[in-house]
Amino acid sequence: MTASTVAASTADPAVGSPSESPAGARGHNAAAPRGGRDGNPFRARQRRLYIPFVAPAFVLYLAFLIVPLAGTFWISLHKWPGSGPMQWEGTRNYTYLLHDPVFLHSFRNTLVLLFGAGAATFALSFGLTMLLRDMVGRSTARSIIFFPNIVPALVLSILWGFLFQADGLVNKILGLIGVHHPPAWLAQNHLYSMILLGVVWTSTGFYTTIIMAAVDRIPPYLYEDCALAGANAWQRFRHVTLPLSWDVIGICAVLWTINAIKTFEFVLAMAGSSSGLPTPEVWTVSLYAYASAFASSGVPQYGLAAADSIVTLVLVAVLVFLIRRVMRRDTIEF
Amino acid sequence: MSTINAIRGLRRHRTQRTGPFQRFLGAPLVWLFVAFNVAVLAWLLLSSTKTTRDLIATPWSLPHAIQWDNFARAWSAGNFGPAALNSAVLVAGTAAATIAVAAPAGYALSRLGARSAEGMTSLFAIGLGIPAQAIFLPLYAVMNSLGLVDSLWGLGLLYTATSMPFAVFFLTGFFRSLPAELEEAAALDGATPWYTFWRIMLPLARSGLVTLLLLNVIGHWGETFFALVFIQSQSLQTLPLAMLGFLQQMQYSGADWGGMFAGIAIVVLPIVVLYIWLGRRIIEGMTLGSGK
Repeated sequence: MTASTVAASTADPAVGSPSESPAGARGHNAAAPRGGRDGNPFRARQRRLYIPFVAPAFVLYLAFLIVPLAGTFWISLHKWPGSGPMQWEGTRNYTYLLHDPVFLHSFRNTLVLLFGAGAATFALSFGLTMLLRDMVGRSTARSIIFFPNIVPALVLSILWGFLFQADGLVNKILGLIGVHHPPAWLAQNHLYSMILLGVVWTSTGFYTTIIMAAVDRIPPYLYEDCALAGANAWQRFRHVTLPLSWDVIGICAVLWTINAIKTFEFVLAMAGSSSGLPTPEVWTVSLYAYASAFASSGVPQYGLAAADSIVTLVLVAVLVFLIRRVMRRDTIEF
Repeated sequence: MSTINAIRGLRRHRTQRTGPFQRFLGAPLVWLFVAFNVAVLAWLLLSSTKTTRDLIATPWSLPHAIQWDNFARAWSAGNFGPAALNSAVLVAGTAAATIAVAAPAGYALSRLGARSAEGMTSLFAIGLGIPAQAIFLPLYAVMNSLGLVDSLWGLGLLYTATSMPFAVFFLTGFFRSLPAELEEAAALDGATPWYTFWRIMLPLARSGLVTLLLLNVIGHWGETFFALVFIQSQSLQTLPLAMLGFLQQMQYSGADWGGMFAGIAIVVLPIVVLYIWLGRRIIEGMTLGSGK
């Protein structure tokens, strides 16, 4: 696919001026004006800018994203400590992953994050959208709810960890209202829930903002009709808001999938151990990839890390495909 | 007639019943959420001026005396000073390079009417879905052999390249939304295509470029994954690495939350200022592309 696109784009300026060599097509100010396909010399000359303008960005994109992606796949079929010779393993890295409890746990954590935290984030975002709809000071409220989104996740994570420490703020507040034996928030069995809660807290603003923008486009007369027909809040949501913001929800779901899979910093800084990595209990697939390749102890297992990344990528691709499939409907014009 | 009126009255009653619910239960919940965010930020900044002991013992009180010492410790011993400098240079360089490369591409893809433009734009958009962990191994291996690991140049190059999908996607959309008249007028006046791009379209797109610049800066200011993988020397640390380093250091040398929060304040304050100044633009930029 990549190769054919490149070929297509290289062939393109030749359409405008068939007689020119590709070398001539590169100089944007050297060539004399000449009639193009549509007889407009300006358009023809302009089209000659296409390749020199797109090429740098495309080369960077190709070299740093597409080619490494293929490289990752290649590494995933080998046993490799990061330097020296690679040893062919076939699909053995993948079968190893299937039987590695740490990977399976990381994978499960990722799924819980995707679906559990995802459901919470979307429910909260919709709730906030509906509440913010006709509230005084909505744009201020929205800006403040959005803010955690642009603060580095690492900062939020460190802060989150501090708030829930044994002698941290949350327990102090609970103590004030009479809860003297709060749960050990950051103990192994609660830690991941705390991480999920933190992720929901930071992402809600982003999705609320997007959904709000979509809901704002819904003409008010539809809601007035609803009011005349005596619809309650849930019915208004179900029959007006939801169908008319459906496309945007689909996009949000895709964005959530992509962003949730990348979750790394928030988990990393919850480490609390001196080795620099959190307990495997809370690993996600991205932590697993990082740990397999750069763990402070043991031989780096690039093949395993790569296989994990490929599995992640397939998961993203499948989910995005399914979301698009499920969410596809006839667009409602309004 | 009277029945209709009665039904109307009933309906009005029903619709109004949802009103108070939102006003008296919903709105306070929203404001509670808002207050939580504000309180966290204010508390964070306040904590950076308190001693660690005060922080733990009386987390709510105002500082007895402002501990500028926290900042001094974070800045020098915690390596936040050099890290802030590294981050600033890296982030500025990356943003500038990203725009220099992506602006022509966005322009060419949206306005030159090339046949492959649409396919290329989609191809760039696919890149938005590629997570860092899916590409870091080959990049590390290749860049290591080129001497680009443990170098701010290497990291900057990496940041610029991985910014391409979003930057090109964003700018393509932005250039497409600009009016065609000025471009045509320039053509009639005999301007060269290059001149048209450089002196007419680029200045017209300035607000889009500024938004992209902002988003790029904010995105890389706290970038952790690539920094963690590609930077090893302490002298080249960026801010996220300094934060992680400080956190780990506390495991050995005892809790210094005062210093930690001073470090965090160094990271967060510039963002707060940017947000207060240009918040609307940041929000619109980040949620663009999804609102269509």
